Amino acid sequence: MYRSGGSGPRNRGSILGVLKATELDARSKLPAEIMVTILNYLPVADQMRCARVSHRLREMVYDDTRWVSRLKSMGCWDEREARQRFEESVRRRREAAAAAAAANQSNDGKKSAVASSTIFDATVEQQRRQRPISELRDGFETMTIGTSDPAEDPAAYLDVFKRVKSVRGGARQEYGKIYKALAPFYFDLVKAKSHTDPIVFKAFIDPEQQAQMLANLHKFAGSDWAEGWGLRDAKLTAMMNIFEAAVLREFEQGYEFWDVDGRMHRYAHVLHTLNGAKTGIELFIQKHPLFNDRELEHNPMDCLNQAFTDDVTLEPSRRFFEHVLVKVNEQAGILERIFPDPAIVFWGLTEKVAEDIIAEYTTPMFDEAHERSILSYLKAISGIFEQTMRFFQSLTPPKGPEEEDLEKRAKQLTLKVFEPHLDLYLQEELDFFTKQAEIEVSQWEKKLSEQDSSLESFYMSNINRSAEKNDFLSSFKKVIMMPVTVLPNFPIGSPFAITKPASSPAVTANGSAALTPQTSRPQTPGLGNEPQGRGSSPMPGAKAPTDELAAKAAIMASKLEGIKSLFSIEVALDLVHKAKGSLGRAAVLIPLGGQVGGEAREQCANIFIALVRILGQRHVKFGFDMAVDHLSQYNPRDVSDHDQKGVAPLVMFIELVNVGDLISQMIEVFYEQQLATPKIADKNDFLDPAGLAKKKFEQMLDESVAAGLNKGIDVLMDEVEYLHGTLQLPTDYNPTPRIPVDDGNHRLSHRATMGSMAELDIGPTPTARRIVDLVRSHTNMLVGTTEKSMLDVFNGEVGQRLFTAICKHLKRQRISTDGAVKLIADMNLYSDYVRSLRNQDVLPYFAALRELSQIYLIDPGHAKEMATVIADGDRFSGVFRAEEVYEYAQRRADWYQVRRSVERAMYGMDCLVM
Amino acid sequence: MAEAKPASQKIWLVSNDNATMEVDRAVVERSMLLKNMLEDLGGADVSPENPIPIPNVNEAVLRKVVEWCEHHRNDPVAAPDDESDARKKTTDIEEWDQKFMQVDQEMLFEIILASNFLDIKPLLDVGCKTVANMIKGKSPEEIRKTFNITNDFSAEEEEQIRRENEWAEDR
Repeated sequence: MYRSGGSGPRNRGSILGVLKATELDARSKLPAEIMVTILNYLPVADQMRCARVSHRLREMVYDDTRWVSRLKSMGCWDEREARQRFEESVRRRREAAAAAAAANQSNDGKKSAVASSTIFDATVEQQRRQRPISELRDGFETMTIGTSDPAEDPAAYLDVFKRVKSVRGGARQEYGKIYKALAPFYFDLVKAKSHTDPIVFKAFIDPEQQAQMLANLHKFAGSDWAEGWGLRDAKLTAMMNIFEAAVLREFEQGYEFWDVDGRMHRYAHVLHTLNGAKTGIELFIQKHPLFNDRELEHNPMDCLNQAFTDDVTLEPSRRFFEHVLVKVNEQAGILERIFPDPAIVFWGLTEKVAEDIIAEYTTPMFDEAHERSILSYLKAISGIFEQTMRFFQSLTPPKGPEEEDLEKRAKQLTLKVFEPHLDLYLQEELDFFTKQAEIEVSQWEKKLSEQDSSLESFYMSNINRSAEKNDFLSSFKKVIMMPVTVLPNFPIGSPFAITKPASSPAVTANGSAALTPQTSRPQTPGLGNEPQGRGSSPMPGAKAPTDELAAKAAIMASKLEGIKSLFSIEVALDLVHKAKGSLGRAAVLIPLGGQVGGEAREQCANIFIALVRILGQRHVKFGFDMAVDHLSQYNPRDVSDHDQKGVAPLVMFIELVNVGDLISQMIEVFYEQQLATPKIADKNDFLDPAGLAKKKFEQMLDESVAAGLNKGIDVLMDEVEYLHGTLQLPTDYNPTPRIPVDDGNHRLSHRATMGSMAELDIGPTPTARRIVDLVRSHTNMLVGTTEKSMLDVFNGEVGQRLFTAICKHLKRQRISTDGAVKLIADMNLYSDYVRSLRNQDVLPYFAALRELSQIYLIDPGHAKEMATVIADGDRFSGVFRAEEVYEYAQRRADWYQVRRSVERAMYGMDCLVM
Repeated sequence: MAEAKPASQKIWLVSNDNATMEVDRAVVERSMLLKNMLEDLGGADVSPENPIPIPNVNEAVLRKVVEWCEHHRNDPVAAPDDESDARKKTTDIEEWDQKFMQVDQEMLFEIILASNFLDIKPLLDVGCKTVANMIKGKSPEEIRKTFNITNDFSAEEEEQIRRENEWAEDR
């Protein structure tokens, strides 16, 4: 304003002088940027003197950024507030301009005044600024320089920082206010020789005010960057330390008398104003009586001593945590009375409690437990961990200004307590599980080799096998589902008690010998009656189930008597049970999150992988390999007893497939419940190691099953052929005619045959029945256990091979017209059976077989017709060619009699040669 | 070849009054201006016959500047200015520099200008600090004399500024 207005004429006069000065004294003109740098190095007072030197220097000194940065260095510049103010002023100026424009139109006379306010955008702002400055200056004047009487208006000094506004263009003024209030004290204090000298301590008597002033000065020192600031800062810090020490002494004295609401409260607040009371809090926590409290001295060994080997009781530790919790929560109230910011102190205290009391309690216990037994160590860690977590979660911190995240704090603190143990723990958990599982499997293997002979004495139950299996499967699925759906103390007996009697025959005499599941296993081949084991009462009355899985294992064991073989579902259940225990313990750590949570999660997955690996590779695969081995060694001729319904190794193998399927389902359910649901493993991540392990297991199972079935079919067909060879009597299809047959008189012979037929059973031969029963029993066993597609392939193969076997067999027989009836019945039986397989591919073969069997029925007199039948390819829907049929026709008992006429009918002219 | 032995390589400078001097390249490189220039040139063409001209710096001043650079040749290169608030704090002038700066005011200003031109920031800083120390405690009039500044304020104006900033006056 004044530049444009008042100084105009004067400037013109001095232009010459300025010119002269620049020309003559070029030597001492420094460029503006250098002047600015120089100004930066000057103390505030000198800068202000420079402002009086010339317009140019004044502008440099008054430059707003210079002062904003000073305010920033004291932490009292709020960019957002400044922007808001600025925008507001812009808006106001616009409004004013609009109003002025309106006024302008109505009144031309005031034009010049209005113009000035619109031309200079900053005018309004400047005016606005000017006003507070003048007010401010008045304020300064009432406040005498120096410190003569701060008692008059102590707030002006104490709260100086609170009154600072962030105004663009007004930073210098704001800084001025602060400087005005604090600089005298600051420079005085810096010059003071001893701690009694500074005026601060004389002008303010209250320790609260002194503390506030010191805090203010400390903040102010931040904006002092003229030469020598380091010394000044050090001096100020020294003074503050002296003051702090004095206050701390007072606080300590109050502490000793437990003068909570008096001295402790007061000096805690003084310390807080001074510098956040860090030292006070430290002292408070350090000397807190809680850490010498005899009542809190629990013996951590109680948890171990009061328990059985391999176990821990968590009751003593629970009492301990309760005790500590009460004490700590008590402190919360006291802290609120003492400290202005009790939450910080509280968490400080809790941290120390965690370090000194809880860690002191837990560490020796863990160490001891580790030495005594791994299992109790694992249990202790997991149990105490949960308790600790709960302890921290149930703390009641005093209400702080900002709501603390209790959950997060609890996790942090728990982590702190357990950090040193966790790595070891996770490792031990996995090792422990792996070891246990290996032992379990090895033991079982040992037992198996001891009772190797019992494999031979494996007997099929005479009850409906597949119904039993289905029943078993469904109940098993129920069982597996249970852990999630039912309470731990679920009355396990009930669902099985019902299915049990229905499927099992009455208790046999030897039921008494098989009272408990353990003794009733087929280790007792001597009792090789079919219903053995099955008849025994399985109910866990003898062995009270401690948890649902154990109980299930018991039930399974008793139900599985009959199908126990090369690997046992019981062992699998045991392993799964163990894995569940380990997982349960380790999973407690997962909610910790962060690195430890991640490690815990990984370890959980590893436990699962170990489970699947041991169960799969060691147990199931081994079992399958053995079974396949047995299968391949099977030779029907070596087996004396063919009365049983199945081929022993194959039955065993199929049983294994069943069991394997059960185990696979078990693993699947376990994976779902224990890993996928609590998000330990990601089901959708195809690279997830747990998922991969599971897939590998399933794949292994499928492969084993496929390999075994392949062998199994061979064996089955061997058996079929063997039965054919041994059981089929030559008279089956070629009965000795009771009445001597006159070859010429076929009518009579026919009648006679009819007569003998009527006497005979027209049904299929026992051999065919046996074979169909044999094959059916095996194929039925697989229903519902293996994959549908695999089953189809298997059935198809069985059908094909059965067909081949029958054909082969047929070519070895001699069939009379009378016997043809039997043969047809046999073929019908086979065909019916094959139809039950529901495999479209093999049906035509058996239909053709039935057609084929009819050629034997044709009376020798109708040789011509026979020839047409033989030549009629469509009849056999392409399964047999005419040559083949011809071959089969040769098996007729009366072939040599009919041959001529048949051949003649077929080839028409062969007799001409003769 | 230029990069082979940059430390002992010689560079020739010539002042605006035609005085040539031989300086180690390491010393010359205290000047950011010359350093960048040498890097651009490869430094190959500089010879006693073809020295680098330093216009508007005379021999006396140039010698003074080179002297400073010799003394500070092994100083660590200052990190590219991080102009954070906290580091605005002024550090003291070290003793050698203080002695070095005990020259008449004209020379002092020339050194500042030369270091500004040659972009030798540490030297510029020392110079400015020295000037700041000269100004400290001086009255406006004395400052005007020092810097040869004409007073373009009226008496009232000057008084108003004084009153405006009364708060900053020494107790």
